[in-house]
Amino acid sequence: MATPPAALAETLPVAPTRDGEAGRRTADRPPGEPRRVGYLYLIPAVLIFGAFTLVPLGHAVWLSFFEWDGVTAGKWVGLANYGDVLSDPDQRTAFVHALVLVVFYAMIPVIIGLIIAGTVARTHVRGFTFFRVVLFLPQVVAMVVVAVMWRMIYDPNDGPINEGLRAIGLGGLAKSWLGDFDVALPAVGLIGTWVMYGLAMVLLTAGVQKIPRSLYDAARVDGASAFREFYAVTLPALRGEIAVALTLCTIQALRNFDLVYITTKGGPGDATSVPAYQVYERAFTTGAVGSAAATGIVLALLIFALSTAINMFAERGTRR
Amino acid sequence: MTSRREQSLTYAVLGVFSLIALLPIVGIVFTALQEPGGGASFGSFDGLHFDNFRRAWEDGSFGQYLKSSAIVTGSVVVISTVVSILAGYAFGMMRFRFSTPLFYLFLLGLMVPMEAMIVPLYYDLRDLELTDTYWALILPQAGTSIAFGTFWMRAFFRSVPPSLVEAARIDGASSWFTLWRVLLPLAKPAVLTMVVLLFMWTWNEFLLALVMVSDESLRTAPLGLSFFLGRNSSDLTLLAAGAVIVALPVVVLYVFLQRHFIRGMVSGAVKG
Amino acid sequence: MAAVRFSDVRKSYGDLEVVHGLDLDIADGEFMVLVGPSGSGKTTALRMLAGLESITAGEVRIGDRVVNTMAPRERDIAMVFQDYALYPQMTVFENLAFGLRRRKTPKDEIDKRVRSAAASLDLEKYLERKPGQLSGGQAQRVALGRALVRDPQVFLMDEPLSNLDAKLRTQTRGEIKRLQQEVRTTTVYVTHDQVEAMTMGDRIAVMNEGRLEQVGTPEELYEHPANVFVGGFIGSPAMTFFDADAAAADGGGTVLRAEGIDLTVRGVDGLPGRVTVGIRPECARLYDPSESRMSGPVAGEVTFVEALGRETFVGVQVGASNVVVHHEGRAALLPGDRVEFGVLPGALRFFDAETGTAIRTRVVAS
Repeated sequence: MATPPAALAETLPVAPTRDGEAGRRTADRPPGEPRRVGYLYLIPAVLIFGAFTLVPLGHAVWLSFFEWDGVTAGKWVGLANYGDVLSDPDQRTAFVHALVLVVFYAMIPVIIGLIIAGTVARTHVRGFTFFRVVLFLPQVVAMVVVAVMWRMIYDPNDGPINEGLRAIGLGGLAKSWLGDFDVALPAVGLIGTWVMYGLAMVLLTAGVQKIPRSLYDAARVDGASAFREFYAVTLPALRGEIAVALTLCTIQALRNFDLVYITTKGGPGDATSVPAYQVYERAFTTGAVGSAAATGIVLALLIFALSTAINMFAERGTRR
Repeated sequence: MTSRREQSLTYAVLGVFSLIALLPIVGIVFTALQEPGGGASFGSFDGLHFDNFRRAWEDGSFGQYLKSSAIVTGSVVVISTVVSILAGYAFGMMRFRFSTPLFYLFLLGLMVPMEAMIVPLYYDLRDLELTDTYWALILPQAGTSIAFGTFWMRAFFRSVPPSLVEAARIDGASSWFTLWRVLLPLAKPAVLTMVVLLFMWTWNEFLLALVMVSDESLRTAPLGLSFFLGRNSSDLTLLAAGAVIVALPVVVLYVFLQRHFIRGMVSGAVKG
Repeated sequence: MAAVRFSDVRKSYGDLEVVHGLDLDIADGEFMVLVGPSGSGKTTALRMLAGLESITAGEVRIGDRVVNTMAPRERDIAMVFQDYALYPQMTVFENLAFGLRRRKTPKDEIDKRVRSAAASLDLEKYLERKPGQLSGGQAQRVALGRALVRDPQVFLMDEPLSNLDAKLRTQTRGEIKRLQQEVRTTTVYVTHDQVEAMTMGDRIAVMNEGRLEQVGTPEELYEHPANVFVGGFIGSPAMTFFDADAAAADGGGTVLRAEGIDLTVRGVDGLPGRVTVGIRPECARLYDPSESRMSGPVAGEVTFVEALGRETFVGVQVGASNVVVHHEGRAALLPGDRVEFGVLPGALRFFDAETGTAIRTRVVAS
């Protein structure tokens, strides 16, 4: 930051223009307004972002058209890797699991968020900031730490869940939560619920606070019950926020890697295998690099579509 | 007016869900404070045995892991913040050819998850002989962070009244001077929010470290914890202490700057 | 200090031209007000002079320099913005000193100039405050001060009073005028408020839809509006109009006929057959047969009554036109009432019915 590149560029004289056409072009530019100097400000960003985000992204697309084990020469296979995403049972299972996780990461958190937002809407809560800070806390704890924590909670031998069940005489229900074919996926999903509902709650209560009080007063004058009020006032006003919360949480569900890697490594069998885990395993364990790249691209496309949707909803929200 | 009953219902709902959010975290902290040895179980409390933290720090090499994380996170945050301010300024306040398509490229990068790039990134950086160095952790993370930061700072600069910049221009300030002396003092809250988010995302990043680093001395805190889990899953107290150490820096920052965390994650939330 | 000259200045955004060949001379030391409704091009003209907008065609001069391609900082101008554009994190002192520091003015000189500007604007007590701690009026004075300390060739002011409340606006109007008369710096002042224009300007340039309608002193504009637009824009309440057929009257003067109107005006002749007639409200009165100088009567229906206490303005619908009539004191009238009004001599202005431009009438002593 010692040498100011911008100041340097701005002192360069503007070439005098005589003929009409060129004169017209410079005339569109207010004298002294920084313009081309904008590129100088962009150089560092373009270099780093380009080299370590855009180039790898392009490279990923390129790799996805090959069958490659990471060592020997690759073989061009066209779109076959993408076909596999749909047809290969392992891949398909992973994407189906991802959809199941959407229920736990997005649907349930948004419902919980709505319950909280609905109750907060009717009352003035003292110390709400405190509750908000606590409810949001799981969002900032590293996913790896969350996973380690929940491994302990789900522990089949001395985890608090099984111990609790035994203590109240329901020892028969105790099981290896993360090692059981039937419950491993919901067990992982519930961790997601625990992480996400604070985010949904913050988004939705922020939305609730934007609803004009007069709407509630009007509903009350009309003698609406609490439930009716929620249904007629709160829910419609929160449409935008609900959409945003759903999309954000869904993206988290799709990206989910750390949690699965630490808690189950996709197991037992492939009971908790997810796309992000498939990317990792294919590229770095089974040597199907092209297929891994294709899976990653499909995942990115899904997320891209959802992010676009979220932006549209968010913008509609601000225009209202 | 709201009835008493409704008021208590609200507090009950908030209380229950807050408790659910808090219990596992309190549980792991209690576990980390238990008497070391076989008898430990998750969440029970038998006094304050801070010795677990010392053991995790020294014997469990969490001190080393934290140092790596600090180096990586510090570098990413500093580089990305400065670079994003410059790029956001150009996109937010200047008109030049191709600015819109260029910005869309950044937006694209903002939405692409690490999972989609990790495979080629590994091979690219291996060819550059950068795997197993801090650079392999810093540069890709800086790339995605800059995408977010540019987006974030552009939004800030667009919210500044244009007359302020015009006044500075009439007063004879260069664009460089205007940025650092006129606009940046105004940008402090926006920059702080960005710094906080970049810090959290970088500190908590796991996949990149898992793929790029095999040398134990370079392991970041989350990666170190995952390896520690593989070796010592029987020693519950030590594992819990390690986990608390890994989470603590971000949580402490969160307690002090919660407004920035929440504001940023809610409004800048397009990044996953 | 310097004169300013716009010569056939045009501004286009793409294919859309928003200023169509502006020619305007502003004398050295003059207070020139550019006034017009929104979208009239007045702000664009000011911003071209400031160098904040490019000049598509034509030439702008400050003194004897053509400034078209000069950066704002080279033009030696100072601007007061509508939202003041004070640097929020700097103290009032630093705000005032900012432009001087950028120009490498010696430190003691800066100090001297800032203190003297602060003194003349009554800001001495606030020099260490930040803009956020100032009231609207104080912030406005800082914005003025920032221009004042620079001692530039030209002051540019873009609606500087529009964010103030009515009382403060009147007060500050006088203050700006006083300051300008003290320092005698050429000033270009943009506003949409014709009262501001009339009270402050040495001369006024009325703009509309990217064109200059008329330039002149406040008196000229008021007495001799160049066209229907200026007549309707200047004055409060504004001139009202009706279209009429004009014919020579028996025994001198002119007869104006329109739906519901048959008015003989003495002392005016030589009008074309079809004219637009403008009436200043203060020259239209409720008809009084004993007032011999009054022409009339014209009958119509009251559409509104605006009672201001000391005076009352009454809207009267006559045929297709609505004429505003002035009445001293209160008028016992209600909308729907039928009234008759008359006009005082010299009250009427005549415009070409097609083009709207003023027709110079021969006024014959009666």
